[in-house]
Amino acid sequence: MLEHVGPQLFNGLVLGAFYAIVAIGLSLIMNLTGTINMAHGSFMTLAGYLAFSMIARGTNFWFAFLVAPLLAVLVAIIVERTLIRPLYGRDPVYSLLLTFGLSLIAEELFHVVWGANTLPFAPPAALGGTLALGFMNFPVYRLFIVIVLVFAFGLLGLFLYRTRFGLRLRAAVQDSEMIAALGTNTQLLYTINFGLGILLAGIAGVLAVGLLGLNPTTGNTLLMPAFVTVIIGGMGSLYGSLVAGVLIGVATSLMTLYVPAASEVVIYILMAVVLTIRPRGLFGEEGLFG
Amino acid sequence: MSGSAFNRRTFVKGAGVGAAALVMGVPAFIPRLGEAADAIKIGVLEPYTGTYAFPGENETIGIQMAIDAWNKKGGVLGRQIEIVKEDEQSKPDVAAQKARKLVNQDKCVALIGTVSSGSSISVQKASSDMGVLFFASGGHTDDVTGKNCTWNTFRTCHSTWMEAHATGYTLAKKFGKKFYFITPDYAFGHALQTAFDDVIKQIGGSTVGTDLTPLGTTDFSSYLTKVGPAKPDVLVVLVQGDDYTNCMKQADSFGLLKKFPVGGPQVELEPLYGLAPEARTGFWGIEWSYSSDLCLGKGNKAAHQFVKDYFAHYLNTQKKPPTARQCFGYVSMDRMLAGMAAAKTTDSVKVARAIEGEKFQSIFIDGGYYRKEDHQLMWPMWVAGIRPNGTPSDPNDLLDVIAKHDADTIEQSVAEKAKICKIVYPS
Amino acid sequence: MNRRLARVTPGRIVALAALVLLALEPTLAPYIHVDVTIVSAALLFTIAALSANLLLGYTGLPPFGNAAFFGLGAYGCALSIKYLNVHFFTATIFGMLAALLGALIVAPFLVRRRGIYFGLLSIAFGQVFYFIAYRFTDVTGGEDGMAVTRPYLAISSFTLKETAFYYLSLVVFILSILAFKAIVQSPFGRTLVAIRQNEVRVRYLGLDSNRFVFVAILISALFAGLSGALSALLNGFIAPLQLDWHQSGDFVLATILGGSGTVWGPLIGSIIFVIGRDIISTITPYWQIFIGALFVACVLGFPRGILGTILARFGAAPLSNEPEEANWTQSPAIAVDHHG
Repeated sequence: MLEHVGPQLFNGLVLGAFYAIVAIGLSLIMNLTGTINMAHGSFMTLAGYLAFSMIARGTNFWFAFLVAPLLAVLVAIIVERTLIRPLYGRDPVYSLLLTFGLSLIAEELFHVVWGANTLPFAPPAALGGTLALGFMNFPVYRLFIVIVLVFAFGLLGLFLYRTRFGLRLRAAVQDSEMIAALGTNTQLLYTINFGLGILLAGIAGVLAVGLLGLNPTTGNTLLMPAFVTVIIGGMGSLYGSLVAGVLIGVATSLMTLYVPAASEVVIYILMAVVLTIRPRGLFGEEGLFG
Repeated sequence: MSGSAFNRRTFVKGAGVGAAALVMGVPAFIPRLGEAADAIKIGVLEPYTGTYAFPGENETIGIQMAIDAWNKKGGVLGRQIEIVKEDEQSKPDVAAQKARKLVNQDKCVALIGTVSSGSSISVQKASSDMGVLFFASGGHTDDVTGKNCTWNTFRTCHSTWMEAHATGYTLAKKFGKKFYFITPDYAFGHALQTAFDDVIKQIGGSTVGTDLTPLGTTDFSSYLTKVGPAKPDVLVVLVQGDDYTNCMKQADSFGLLKKFPVGGPQVELEPLYGLAPEARTGFWGIEWSYSSDLCLGKGNKAAHQFVKDYFAHYLNTQKKPPTARQCFGYVSMDRMLAGMAAAKTTDSVKVARAIEGEKFQSIFIDGGYYRKEDHQLMWPMWVAGIRPNGTPSDPNDLLDVIAKHDADTIEQSVAEKAKICKIVYPS
Repeated sequence: MNRRLARVTPGRIVALAALVLLALEPTLAPYIHVDVTIVSAALLFTIAALSANLLLGYTGLPPFGNAAFFGLGAYGCALSIKYLNVHFFTATIFGMLAALLGALIVAPFLVRRRGIYFGLLSIAFGQVFYFIAYRFTDVTGGEDGMAVTRPYLAISSFTLKETAFYYLSLVVFILSILAFKAIVQSPFGRTLVAIRQNEVRVRYLGLDSNRFVFVAILISALFAGLSGALSALLNGFIAPLQLDWHQSGDFVLATILGGSGTVWGPLIGSIIFVIGRDIISTITPYWQIFIGALFVACVLGFPRGILGTILARFGAAPLSNEPEEANWTQSPAIAVDHHG
């Protein structure tokens, strides 16, 4: 049995990295403006579809990988300005319902434009193949995913903690009235924050479709685990989302060894436990939700 | 002041009620396009949204092709046939509601369709409550012709039992008798597993590993890494649809597809198109193929004509060749109308009696019949390898049919079925 | 007292007119092309929406796990028929008891949280029930769902057919609305509203708000369970998908669409949602775009719901209907007592 644990841990890490990056995006958006973005998965799927279309028209994978998330951010900015902004200051239930409605629309639009069937999306040959690691053969693509996500994570950390803009963002989380009074354009800040969250979603999306297949509902399958990750890690905490993501990823993977039936529901059980004992999560900071 | 407030309140409540009444009244003004007087209306219940939208659309095309063929010959009983489509969304409660709507409101005389097992069962229940004929064209669960069997329901596609046996025998013959299963942990998966266990018992094989993958699993890596150490002769993948695509994709990324032969009870063209060519491999049960004479029958004019008609009318819009789903839809509708013609009525009981047991030729080799005891269509099933890029002339022609199994060899016998299914006609 | 009961207010006349309209539905059905079955479904949906309304509109808690109570009601009813061979009303009672039991298990955890934590926790519990229903194929039929044979009414060996079932649904609906009205207008109900508006103050007045929330969850579960049990009997079928949190979201949407915090709002919302979805899905396969747009339009344009907005326009909106201002200082749990 022990020779199985190694591979499961690795798998769990990859899964965890995914959850973490999606969770961070969600957390950023939630923490600053109290917006619960149920359309986060749709933006991931959008980036995947855009990448697919670009590759189908002849661009190479790397170009699509860089550009597709940016296009998704463009859409996100429009959405934020028109639909989400009116909801700032209101009960989060409303943003939840609105973005849920957006996800329904998005799913159907994907169906209309790209068809209902799963589209073949393969990572480039350079990333194919496996690395013989002794106890398992580890797909290169998964390794690539981990590297990209760690990199994105690091960049995000630098941005938030080492730039002035990041400073303003963090200040706005603590007291947006004050920072507005000090002259910052908070509306712009909110928009950029949203765009940042979606950028992370877009990157995760393009990576995910290489792993999971591309159809109108691909992004949604990662949404709930991502929410759970946010809760467990604590909203607003970069570090918390990383730790929680890995925790959940590893827990899910290890569960498949011992109690497979519970491996998909274990995340909800973990969420229930955290919400009951310590709702602000492992590393939660003071934010909108306490 | 209070007087006028009450008036406003009244107005307000009235407006609310009026809005509700309007919503209820609007449908009266929606014309049902193309309603010809005296047409025979058949209700089509397929998923047009959600995961199964693609097979749902394909089944509908098959149904439409059958209708067009009959209408060209003058219809049935001198009347033209029309279909009324409803989106059952792969949700069983919606399917049941739509079924009732089609019969009670739209006056359909019979129902046809469904892809997901849940919807098949729920429509079977609703249609049997209403005493209306139902052809389950695309739902595979054994129960439809097993413990839930009813006089009014006929099932066209193969049962999970048939699927497991057809492929089990072929895989064992080709590769060996040690199986490793990746099984979806819900009713459908359990049924397939039970059927495969029966195959293993019959051929004296063994199961070297089973992974029950819970609902919602999109990442199969945890299970796939266990396959290598178990050293099976064949990796049997029981998951379907999008899960199949994910599993195969990930198996490929782990290099498993090059190390072990892989196979399974059912593959359809729809999920295969979603895989990159490197992952298109293995030997799978298939229920029909448009390009193989082993499926169509060499001299079978009807079969070849069907394919030709499809290419002429639908290839441009659909961009893909006909799949088994078109076959299910066509055969179901064709036989339903033939039954009506033979019974000279649309009365469900009489038509059902006319259909059951009747041998017929259709768009597949050897012909078939709906078994009297459980209303399962007894027709051959095939096993195919995959051509990753099709043939030079047709890149969509992915299925390389290698074996045919006759229905009697792969389905439970009448005696075995009698233990769980008893068809009783209303008195 | 007598004067109050006998008062023939215009409001009551309108309500009566609505009920007459509903009562005549079976006769009108062929003309307005709306089948009794779908209106039955809408009425039963309303009862579930009322359950969401009690928690959301009156107590201020987002109930995203109510589909679990709905499902427990449905499976409780179905399993009691399958294993215990009970009659119609007994089966319904079994369903409600199953829902109540589920509520008794989860409510102690739920009462300790407020706001979106309450919502997420209710989703978590709901999903656990969903997986149970899915996993235990032998008992629940798993993913394929369970067929439910409509049993006889206890009072006679007579099985309800479509129209008769519709009238039963109508009667149950009327009773439910009357019960709901009584609950929200009672001191208990008014305390719930007070909790929604300012829970700290309620506690300072000496009331244990957690207990009120606890009971509210139980009542909500009873309504949802009733809806579930009757829906299983209506459709002759229950499947695990009906416990999924998306279904909870539908109940919440119907409430908000019609007007959360009002008694009749959920009815309007349910009719628009259930019947509207049925009609639109018949017209176009792209109906999901319209439903999504409905969500968006409702949140942006009618946050108080249709009834709420109209009432507010005429200055008669109930206090418990304002679109919630996010309470920035609201902590996930009321920390007044140190045991919480």
